[in-house]
Amino acid sequence: MISGLKRRVDTFFGRGEAAVTVPPLDGALRANSALDEAPLRLPLEGVDALAEVAGVVHASAGSVLYALEGDVWAERQRFDAPIAALSAYRDGLAVALNDGSIHLPDGSRLETGLHAITAMAVEGETLILANGSEHNTDWQRDLLQRGATGSVWRCDGGMTRIAAGLAWPSGLAVDAGGIVVAEGWRHRLVRLAGGQVLLSDLPAYPGRLSKAPGGWWLSAFAPRSQLVEFVLREPGYRQRMMAEVPMEYWVAPKLRSGHSFYESLQGGGVKQLGKLKPWAPTMSAGFCIRLDEQFQPTGSLQSRADGQTHGVTDALETQGRLHVAAKGDGLVAVLPQGEGA
Amino acid sequence: MTFTDRLIRARYRLIPDHLLGEILSKRWVDNALPMLILILVVAVFGALIPGFFGQASLTNLARQWGEFGLIVLALTVVMAAGGIDLSVGSIFALGNIVALALIGLVELPVPVVMLLTVACGAAVGLVNGLLVGYLRLRAFLTTLVTLIIVRAAVDMLLLKYAVAIASAFPDSDLWYWFGEGSFLSLPVSVVVALVVALIVHLTLSRARLGWQVLAVGGSRRSAHNVGIPVRRVICLTYVTSGALAALSGFLFASRLGAAGADIGIGLEIAALTAAVLGGNSLGGGRGSAAKAIIGSVIVMILINSLVRLGVTSGGSSLLLGVVLLVAVAADMRWLKNRHKLLSKVYVSPTWADLPEAPPTTEASPYALNDRLRPVEAIGLGAIDGPEDVILDEDDHIYVGNRTGDIVRFLAPDYTRQEVFAHVGGRPLGMAFAPDGALLVCIGGMGLYRVGKDRQIEKLTDETNRSWFSVIDDSRLRLADDLDVAPDGRVYFSEATIRYDMHEWPVDCLESRGNGRIICYDPNTKSTRTVLKNLVFPNGICMTHDGQSFLFAETWACRISRYYFDGPKKGQVEAVIPDLPGFPDNINRASDGTYWLALVGMRTPAFDLALRMPGFRQRMAQRVAPDEWMFPNINTGCVLRFDETGKVLETFWDLGGESHPMVTSMREHKGHLYIGGISNNRVGKLKLDGVDPAWTGPQSYWGQA
Repeated sequence: MISGLKRRVDTFFGRGEAAVTVPPLDGALRANSALDEAPLRLPLEGVDALAEVAGVVHASAGSVLYALEGDVWAERQRFDAPIAALSAYRDGLAVALNDGSIHLPDGSRLETGLHAITAMAVEGETLILANGSEHNTDWQRDLLQRGATGSVWRCDGGMTRIAAGLAWPSGLAVDAGGIVVAEGWRHRLVRLAGGQVLLSDLPAYPGRLSKAPGGWWLSAFAPRSQLVEFVLREPGYRQRMMAEVPMEYWVAPKLRSGHSFYESLQGGGVKQLGKLKPWAPTMSAGFCIRLDEQFQPTGSLQSRADGQTHGVTDALETQGRLHVAAKGDGLVAVLPQGEGA
Repeated sequence: MTFTDRLIRARYRLIPDHLLGEILSKRWVDNALPMLILILVVAVFGALIPGFFGQASLTNLARQWGEFGLIVLALTVVMAAGGIDLSVGSIFALGNIVALALIGLVELPVPVVMLLTVACGAAVGLVNGLLVGYLRLRAFLTTLVTLIIVRAAVDMLLLKYAVAIASAFPDSDLWYWFGEGSFLSLPVSVVVALVVALIVHLTLSRARLGWQVLAVGGSRRSAHNVGIPVRRVICLTYVTSGALAALSGFLFASRLGAAGADIGIGLEIAALTAAVLGGNSLGGGRGSAAKAIIGSVIVMILINSLVRLGVTSGGSSLLLGVVLLVAVAADMRWLKNRHKLLSKVYVSPTWADLPEAPPTTEASPYALNDRLRPVEAIGLGAIDGPEDVILDEDDHIYVGNRTGDIVRFLAPDYTRQEVFAHVGGRPLGMAFAPDGALLVCIGGMGLYRVGKDRQIEKLTDETNRSWFSVIDDSRLRLADDLDVAPDGRVYFSEATIRYDMHEWPVDCLESRGNGRIICYDPNTKSTRTVLKNLVFPNGICMTHDGQSFLFAETWACRISRYYFDGPKKGQVEAVIPDLPGFPDNINRASDGTYWLALVGMRTPAFDLALRMPGFRQRMAQRVAPDEWMFPNINTGCVLRFDETGKVLETFWDLGGESHPMVTSMREHKGHLYIGGISNNRVGKLKLDGVDPAWTGPQSYWGQA
């Protein structure tokens, strides 16, 4: 009863759980525009996931799989549904589609029955899948509904659920200690075995994790903002907004914002003297965070409010180059290895 | 509209939330809580004690209050300068015995007795003042010591003269009149206290010395820095305090004629309680006679009523102590938190529903295009925030900027610029008077006139005060745009009366009718408000009939027409009720139609928030202003409409690349000149198919 009372008092005064503070971009996450300064930018509309097979970088965009040949994207394969996730698997590529099927390198097809696959990883010889939500396929809707119905599955012949009740699991990593999940709406990284929280209170919504020499890359697909945190604590407004306002104009984090004047602005986002300030509050940004072996951040590559590399959904470091898929702006930024690490 | 919407609308129409913040921002709100306590105390004891409101009871109470009130006033004066005087009780006793001795033993005339008694108190006060003011000893300890010394002196005097005083019977009617008489059916002591209170009030609120006292109390260091003789001022407050305490003693002597050892004991605590309870700050800088009166009446009633209820004297002291403690705590918390509370409740959004926004697709008159793309930039990077643009007969461009200048770009190529006049404030709307002088609305200042000779003249900065407005709405806070009627009257808009220039986005969050349109008549030099409760009235433009003007209400997204003359005089007609964006300035076009700038566009999410005032209120409280949800004012457009409200054409700049944010535009000789309040340029666009000789001044005033 006391906790219920406390919650009400907090809600009234905007304290505790109801406070809308967002951690500052500081320390390893100090604001920079390294992603925008990438020497090589390869446009690919709708690019989402990245994977490497036999030294070749593959990228998914919509329902098409591309491979990087030189500095040009070449179409490799077309699927009947948009690609949800990629993973190198048994010398080939496992391709998960939005309809819940997985195409394996040997040409076989696996039906998972999941409809919001967000990430895929390999543990030994088995595939691990993250399913963002039971009900929603749009991540924005799931966020605004404060969804916590995500799960992690193991495909060992059948389908075994190894974790549930996650708030949009959107990234997977497998190391010697087991499986680590990036839990989007709780802005943290959790080790499934034991439920140990490895990294918490991130200033952005964490997405896919990928292996890097001596650590990991964490792609965070959208920034957290005070206004969104506030809207998340306003059930009345949230419900009416989802019911009455077209989805692209919601007050919600986005992979890319500012394209339409029907999107609401925030006070600091007003152009001054013809310029949008880099520190302006924004619903989209680019974050690619370098983690060490213990999943602690050591550096980051970012694109700020005025940047052109927003909505980072995946990162892949190979052959001395880091590839960053910025879905919001439809391009892959390529940076020489070591930068930001 | 749903039922819930109706409920919310009714609730926001019925309860004027904004008044709470306006009341809290008033200085007199400090007195409100003590006043409430006073009413409460009167009500409680009036009900508990039979005959409380009887003539005898009230007269007795009032007579005592007169004496007590003087002591509290004495303490108030000292506290206002940041000090404290604990010796008032002892000086009171001293005044009592000195007055008795002088009248009974020396048998001086009453006025001389009074004068000498007051002088005696003032002398003790001077000792305090010298020690605290000039030698800068701690007020608390110093006056504590004076308390003891004066008390000892009184005791010694008592030993010597008590018997003689008791056996003396002054033979003076005037002496007894002071103690028992009435003046205008009020006890004399009350009249004296009220007169002193009035003097204290006038001094603190109107006189230089009073201001100096408050300044010293507010910040000693700053008072010293601005040249106030801090030591002398402090010394004077103690002298005043001593004199008033002795005067009170004189009145007490004439009333009771008794010289006892216990007179005035514990009086300083009662007086201190009264002063603090009334709202005088212990820290200094905040104090008034009204607070002293309220506080002293409360304490007087408390003490007397407790005695009459049969509470033992220990109990009543205990209660007094508790009250003092609570008052001190409340005083501190209030001082510390008042501005926080104010900032939380001042912003009070209201229910606002906009009509459905027209689309911006192909078939709509607002259809998107890139017609503003070819706009040329004048003074790119050399001008900061030209809100309005105007051109004179010689084609020079005049714009205001953020640093309070009116800048002139010189024809014909506009590469040279000069400061035409430095007016200060934030120059906003501009218009030419018939004689060619430039009339300017200046945010934060009012309506000004800059002659051709660059002479700056204030036309008006105040209007008639509304009867029922809590905040003082006579001053102009945000004069925005103006236009001149054929007879020379100037109609100008004041966007909001609740916020200053730099806080205008907050007014957007409120979306209440906080603005008004005001008329300045140069013939009578009078100013009066003609239209009130407009939702951020912005652009104003005279129509061609000479009887009406068009005005834009920004947050209401509408254009209306007001008739100031002719058969429809006083009427307001809607012209465009449903704009897709937020209208700013309106100006004449060469073909008899009008140009309108849309400073920003409506967004569905913000429109929804407008129907949820509670959501906006909480957002204002919890989210940092830079993160507040806002309509999209990074994209704007210019459109042309006619008097019937038909939109004829629209000029867009998608993405705001060449001209983000448009707040004004002015047609001149076949070109459109564009200003924006946060822009770094003036735009110039060639218009096709318009009269290449048309100019604004000609349209208004004919061939010069």
